[in-house]
Amino acid sequence: MNIEISGLTRRFGRAQAVAGVDLEAGPGVFGLLGPNGAGKTSLLRMMATVIPPSSGRLRLLGRDPGSQGQRREIRRGLGYLPQTLGYYPGFTVVEFVEYFALLKEVPPARVPAAVASAVERVGLGDRAKAKLRNLSGGMLRRAGIAQAIVNEPRLLLLDEPTAGLDPEQRVTFRTLLRDLGEQATVVVSTHLVEDVGAACGRVALMEKGRIAFDGTPAELISRGVGHGTGDAPLERGYSAVLQQVRS
Amino acid sequence: MTAADLRPGVAGRSWPAGLRLVRLHLAGRQVPGALAALAGCAVLLRCALHWHWIQGSGPSAQQLPLLIESAAAMIIAVTTRSPFGEVERATGRWLPWLRLGTTLALTAAAAGMLAAGTVPAHLPGGDLALLRNVAGLVGVGLLSAAVLGGHLSWVGPVGYLGLAEVALTSARTTPWIWPACPPHDHAAALCATLAFTAGTLAITWRGARDTTHE
Repeated sequence: MNIEISGLTRRFGRAQAVAGVDLEAGPGVFGLLGPNGAGKTSLLRMMATVIPPSSGRLRLLGRDPGSQGQRREIRRGLGYLPQTLGYYPGFTVVEFVEYFALLKEVPPARVPAAVASAVERVGLGDRAKAKLRNLSGGMLRRAGIAQAIVNEPRLLLLDEPTAGLDPEQRVTFRTLLRDLGEQATVVVSTHLVEDVGAACGRVALMEKGRIAFDGTPAELISRGVGHGTGDAPLERGYSAVLQQVRS
Repeated sequence: MTAADLRPGVAGRSWPAGLRLVRLHLAGRQVPGALAALAGCAVLLRCALHWHWIQGSGPSAQQLPLLIESAAAMIIAVTTRSPFGEVERATGRWLPWLRLGTTLALTAAAAGMLAAGTVPAHLPGGDLALLRNVAGLVGVGLLSAAVLGGHLSWVGPVGYLGLAEVALTSARTTPWIWPACPPHDHAAALCATLAFTAGTLAITWRGARDTTHE
């Protein structure tokens, strides 16, 4: 298992963002759904080793991120795209992706090929030498995805990766997700249930810091039959689970 | 685009990967701009000495040099801000070393440029006081960056500057207000060294506070 979580919590002052999550995941694409403030981003940030849990057990890629040495090992095999991507506007796409390849300790001889492959896979090959300041929001998002996958991570964490992508790019991106999920554990936090339906083999729904549902997209759809609101079967399943939890 | 197309650009004009990483890190932290601003501080100090904007050698004569030294410290502290945020923090072992190297190099550059700016005139307090003041103020700036974030790191040096200016005008001395102490005051030098060491360790270990998610 690449992700092993039990009883995980995270507090920010008085607010409990994550309130006891249990989760295990191996290779495949794992969708994380939930309304705003459900705790998805906080859970993802703990898995990205950028914030520590308040309590509970977290093991990533078979290692303990609480230990400094093991955290380094985890980070070598980790790809992370946060909700808000920071970037230096003066970098070109290639420089941006290369910087992260070098920071993630991709062997120097492999860096050029790794950078070219990542940039190509997100469809930015023709803009490789463009400055980030000149890219559209969707292109910046794709540059962010490229830096996340440049080290061929075994654990890839993507927070709202399709925000700003047009429908054609989203379809391409879902194909990329399925491709990456054959080798790695890919966790995708999103509000877009159609992305989950198309790309994820498993989905969890978070509400108030807990996992309210964990199963396949088909199982989530079945929860919405005759219940829930929404235009698509997955949306009805999503709303039916939320209604059940809130009632 | 293929790997072959990218090879000259990525492999970086045959630069080794380590140098390439350092170059990209310095560019991302806007270090070239910071060096230009530090050079501007040195020119300002040179002008102040050349046109005798600084009179005498008493405490009041140290006010303008202290202002320039504080500006240099603020410039260095602001470079601790990472434009990349959490993505950069979730990477391997090189980042702390890059932060340490950048901080030490910029501090050395600031001290060197300001000292060069005093030649051949005489700076009140001399180069020893200049080195002590710059190092201590940089430490205050780095601690400020660790607590408040890179974009607010100037708050510490500005607050400290206010305290030091008051101490200079009122001739009150304590080792913790090292700019108001004589150049050979060992306690003041120790306090400045402690501030610099604490700030450097904080920035090396944790980096500037990332306020994106708060």
